Amino acid sequence: MFLAGLSLACALNCVAAPAHTVAVAVSPRNSVSNVTLGDLRRIFSGEKRTWQDGTRIKLFSRAPGTTERTALLKLLGKSEMEYKQFWTAKVFQGDAETEPIVLPSNGMQREALTAYPGAIILVESADVKPGMRVLKVDGKLPDNETYPLHR
Amino acid sequence: MLRRGLLRAGQMIALSTLLGGTASAQDSILADRETIRQLAQQIRQLQEKVAALEAKQGSAPSTTADTSSVPASGDASASASQLASFQEAHEVRGIRWRGFGEVNYKVLNQRQPELATFGFVPGSAGNFYTGDFDLFLTSKISEKASVLAEVIIGEGDAQRFDIELARALLKYDYNDHLRLSIGRYHTAIGYYNTAFHSGKWLQTTVDRPLVMEFAADGGLLPTQALGLSVTGQIPSGKLGLNYIAEYGSSDTVRPDLDDGTVVDENNGNHVNLGLFLHPESVPGLQIGGSYYHDRISDFLKGPSVRLAQTVINGHLVYAAHSFEILNEAFLIRNAYEQGGPISNMPAFYSQFSRRFGKVRPFFRYQYVNTNIKSSYHSDVLLRHGPSFGARYDFNESIAFKTQLDHTIRKGKPDLDGLQMQVSFAF
Repeated sequence: MFLAGLSLACALNCVAAPAHTVAVAVSPRNSVSNVTLGDLRRIFSGEKRTWQDGTRIKLFSRAPGTTERTALLKLLGKSEMEYKQFWTAKVFQGDAETEPIVLPSNGMQREALTAYPGAIILVESADVKPGMRVLKVDGKLPDNETYPLHR
Repeated sequence: MLRRGLLRAGQMIALSTLLGGTASAQDSILADRETIRQLAQQIRQLQEKVAALEAKQGSAPSTTADTSSVPASGDASASASQLASFQEAHEVRGIRWRGFGEVNYKVLNQRQPELATFGFVPGSAGNFYTGDFDLFLTSKISEKASVLAEVIIGEGDAQRFDIELARALLKYDYNDHLRLSIGRYHTAIGYYNTAFHSGKWLQTTVDRPLVMEFAADGGLLPTQALGLSVTGQIPSGKLGLNYIAEYGSSDTVRPDLDDGTVVDENNGNHVNLGLFLHPESVPGLQIGGSYYHDRISDFLKGPSVRLAQTVINGHLVYAAHSFEILNEAFLIRNAYEQGGPISNMPAFYSQFSRRFGKVRPFFRYQYVNTNIKSSYHSDVLLRHGPSFGARYDFNESIAFKTQLDHTIRKGKPDLDGLQMQVSFAF
């Protein structure tokens, strides 16, 4: 039973993805399995703040210069400076309590998913580990050739 | 194995400490901060022990360790220490605070002195002034409730400063479709007022367009109010439709541009309704409008003479991929309830800018045309003209802006001006 569960988890998470694709991962407790690219923009720009079940979305980010951060900036259409200024403005507008927390490693991102049911992260596909529930983006997993999220 | 275990423990500790400050309730924040320090210290000690053990055994680091995804303990502890310092610097008993400031220099070729705001001396050849010093505070009360406050120390004439509570809101975010706020707020007439609030650092230009200037500084609209605000998303798929509804009292007090005489509009309670779209197909685009209605008084004509004031706004804004394109149009309509002249006063501004690295050149054209027969805004009349300049961002917190203005005024000489500003967020 345990092995079957492990195999299933691996089938979901351990995808053979093309280089530099970036997976979107949530907590294993999150029931969401697919997001649209538009949803993803809304989530990472702080417009969409709750999941469908009412759980608050908790945003995490990798540090500037990482593959995940580059993909995030590309997703939002912003430079690093614009991203930081955007979140300062967002907090000042009262639309966010704080800017997304920057985590220095993917291991800590994994722990964030464990600690927060509403957490969402971007992680390079090659670094996806058990404990990270990978979401489809526009119905596609990172191993799909037309997967939209790249570095 | 020992190293891997310690690394994982360190990782868990560091993560807990990173997240603890933001997730806990107010009462635990001070305790969290102390915990952060202690845990960061423990991580360093663990790291030293691992190094000592490895040196003693003469062994290479375990090849089975998941080094691709696990951080060096030093990184984690450094990060935890950095966050602890940041939290310590920006939190006082659960209150997060930020600030905005500015220092300005302005020269006008005015031959007929106009209003002095923000400490600018009318008729001067040019002088420095600080404008607004803005303290912004937030505090989380529960998972869904929070408090937001904005306190401004503003410069008046002769370098005298006064304190104003620009915003003070108790907020409750039920979900994405229902977010409630009660308290003092910036009215959501159009886009500018709620996008930039009082923080000059946030806006590209040195000053606000005249129509969107705060009423206390000569602007035409009721920019601040006290009451209830409800906003949220409307299920609309890729259309990204949002609403905002406000009910409150906006006691607008506005100085006359010519002589500074303060005019109190003695507002009643206003209703403001707005809708705006964030279409998924064009990220960064916002199209919307708002309808504001209030009753204001004209005490010069009698103690019970009232006007219906309506402000209609339409806006189209695009802010993405280094572009910032702002377009807003307004119609301010004042109509006597007992019959009499009706004033329809149009205004608009268009602003275009694009970032090239750290430099963002901008161009703005604004137009205001008020009615000389109107009880309010008859000092403004027809004013229009271009502004252009550039913003240079030294980093993500400090910006230098310079701006040239040319304003054509009905019945008065044209006005040319040069403004420079250093604005900062901290």
